[in-house]
Amino acid sequence: MRIVRAKKGQFIIIAAMLLSIMIISISTVIYGTVTYYRQERWEEYVTVLDSIRTSSQNVLQIALANYSKTSNPNVLRDYLNQWIRDVRKAYPGFGVDLSFSLAQGVHFAYGVSVNYNLGLARTWNQPLSFSASNATLNLDLASVGLTGYNFSSHVFLKMRIRGAEWYSKESKRYVSIYVSVEKEGSDPVNNLQKSNFADIKLDGVSSTFSVKRYYSSTYSSLIYEIRVNSIGAKPLTAEITLVDTRGIQTVSYTDNVLQNSD
Amino acid sequence: MRVIEAVMASLIVVSAISFLYLFAGTPSSQPQETSELEKLGHNVLHDIDEQRLLARFVYGSEWQNLTSALVVSFPTNVYFNLSIYDADGNPISHPQIQYGDQQVFASSKSVTSVTYILPGYQTNYTPRILVLKLVRG
Repeated sequence: MRIVRAKKGQFIIIAAMLLSIMIISISTVIYGTVTYYRQERWEEYVTVLDSIRTSSQNVLQIALANYSKTSNPNVLRDYLNQWIRDVRKAYPGFGVDLSFSLAQGVHFAYGVSVNYNLGLARTWNQPLSFSASNATLNLDLASVGLTGYNFSSHVFLKMRIRGAEWYSKESKRYVSIYVSVEKEGSDPVNNLQKSNFADIKLDGVSSTFSVKRYYSSTYSSLIYEIRVNSIGAKPLTAEITLVDTRGIQTVSYTDNVLQNSD
Repeated sequence: MRVIEAVMASLIVVSAISFLYLFAGTPSSQPQETSELEKLGHNVLHDIDEQRLLARFVYGSEWQNLTSALVVSFPTNVYFNLSIYDADGNPISHPQIQYGDQQVFASSKSVTSVTYILPGYQTNYTPRILVLKLVRG
């Protein structure tokens, strides 16, 4: 008996086998592609990125606080150089590469002209005084192929003497100085206590004082009213030293103390 | 005869698809769980830092306040253990800053670790590396 072999039937089987091989191959490639991205630690990368960004801002704060106390013009550059090394050590395996450039020259920000030197600036002993730091940082995360992530960090503290008046009514004589305080973003600083006003000088002499905080419709702003009691004669000058909760200092000065006899 | 061949061809295709299913396991919820804890841990540390409390607690050795701040920030079923190191990775001596049954850290397969770096406080640059381990109880 002779077995008849159907050639068309063999073709169907071969076609099915080829189709199966194609299905397996394509599925393997698609599955590999999808799972590669699912297995990456994206959340960890994002948190590392965010943490470095926030902490870098804190480095600028610390440097500005130090600069406002010591007047060391190199402090921001030195701190950031150290910061670059410490960040690498804190996140081993991420391939963190941080670099920075410091603001230099005149920048206009928050309503004032800021003349930076090595990322730091201060203008003190005027009715409007401020301390500022500014740097641009560049972050690479080699482990995830992220390069060229840039962010700018600014730290700013501004104090403005809105008015200074000597009140003389019968036996009650005092000086009231009205100041407003802002930080970066032109946000009013509303959490200052008496201890943040480190020194109040009238005619160059340190004085005891009290502080009140309220919203003033006259100045359309949150105002700190600093009152110095028992002043015998109208002072010619007033000087206020402010150290905010971040440790950043600024000093405002006015020689325009008005007399109020109302 | 053609019917038998068609059936054989179908079997080959079905076998191939079944073979793929053997390897295509359903995604485990473990990485997602770890990822959520990581995000939660970082957000909590970031929030306390934004309030300018984290640096004060760490540099002022206010360990009890730090523990309390973390306890109230995390859900009650999230256990934590915080260690603090200097920039060179040397541990800073401090009382245990932890919450929950610490045995769970050894037995659980999804312990999350969050690293947060503090550069310093006020005018002093003295970095501290915070390593926060988290697990669901």
